[in-house]
Amino acid sequence: MQCVLLGAVTELRATTHTIEFPYTRTLGPVIGSFFTGLRDRRILGIRAGDRVLVPPLEYDPETGDALKPDFVEVGPAGTVTSWSWVTKPTRKHPLDRPFGFALIRLDGADTAMVHAVDAGSIDRMQTGMRVTPRWRDERKGRIDDIECFVPEGGAA
Amino acid sequence: MTDTAGNATTTSGDEPVTMMEYFMQLEYSDVVSAPVMRFRDALMDARLIAQQCPKCKLVYVPPKGYCPIDTVELDERNEIQLADRGVVTNYTVVTPVQYYGQKETEPFVRASILLDPPGGMLILQDVLDIPVAEVRAGMRVEAVWAPKGERDVDEIGNRSGSALEGSLRGFRPTGEPDMPAEAFSDKVW
Ligand SMILES: [Zn+2]
Repeated sequence: MQCVLLGAVTELRATTHTIEFPYTRTLGPVIGSFFTGLRDRRILGIRAGDRVLVPPLEYDPETGDALKPDFVEVGPAGTVTSWSWVTKPTRKHPLDRPFGFALIRLDGADTAMVHAVDAGSIDRMQTGMRVTPRWRDERKGRIDDIECFVPEGGAA
Repeated sequence: MTDTAGNATTTSGDEPVTMMEYFMQLEYSDVVSAPVMRFRDALMDARLIAQQCPKCKLVYVPPKGYCPIDTVELDERNEIQLADRGVVTNYTVVTPVQYYGQKETEPFVRASILLDPPGGMLILQDVLDIPVAEVRAGMRVEAVWAPKGERDVDEIGNRSGSALEGSLRGFRPTGEPDMPAEAFSDKVW
């Protein structure tokens, strides 16, 4: 519930309606292993031929063949391959201050994964920059067990 | 992970992570329309108001500012006072399933109430002071208003429809004789 004043005369009232759906989902053997790894501060990829996919997939995106559960630890540091800057984070964003959403190719991986980069300023973001994860102390087996990535060799 | 009561629990120790919780949330913010603001003010006085279309004579409660059938705008000049008593035209007994957000634990009634002239239909109303099994179509009922100091219309917006329980708690039997079905069968909602 909030009140907005328009000029000096008209008072507009707003109501807020929230719709909520809680889901509980099974993760399967591949994402389950990936999340178990995060809980244990390890980032796991999966071998697909001579490539390593991170995050791991259940199927080879090139051939559609099921992948064997052949996991390999990657990172934890990596390289930003693309990014955009969020100037006004919403309540739902991973950080409460301006940050970058980036594609990050972790060391040892052949694909990039999306995560937040707490760079402090858009001026510090650039393609090719090196980043390293900031882990949460209390990890639950979720993608945000990594709170965000930060520029390597210096906090934001 | 989730325990049997549906509470989120932290994955602990060395067990593999097999499940995830995902909480989808959509928030809508609406500026309350002028007719609904007037409707809210009336509810604070324990009154029901509506708009009546001058062409088709349909009664819109809550007032919506237009008649969608005749595509005419409605405003304060089309406003009418409604009765706060009427008849149950039809009803459903809901046996609550304990899904997320469910507050009810026992079977309850949601009834459509055709108000006395000049008319108007309130849907999804609670029927109070009578066992669920004794509710029937044709039963005469009157509004049960929240006490003056307890009325709250802050949550009533353009999408609230007949959900008015902050001010209008529901309806209770008046004890008058039931009305025959023919008296309202053309208005069952
Ligand atoms: Zn009309």
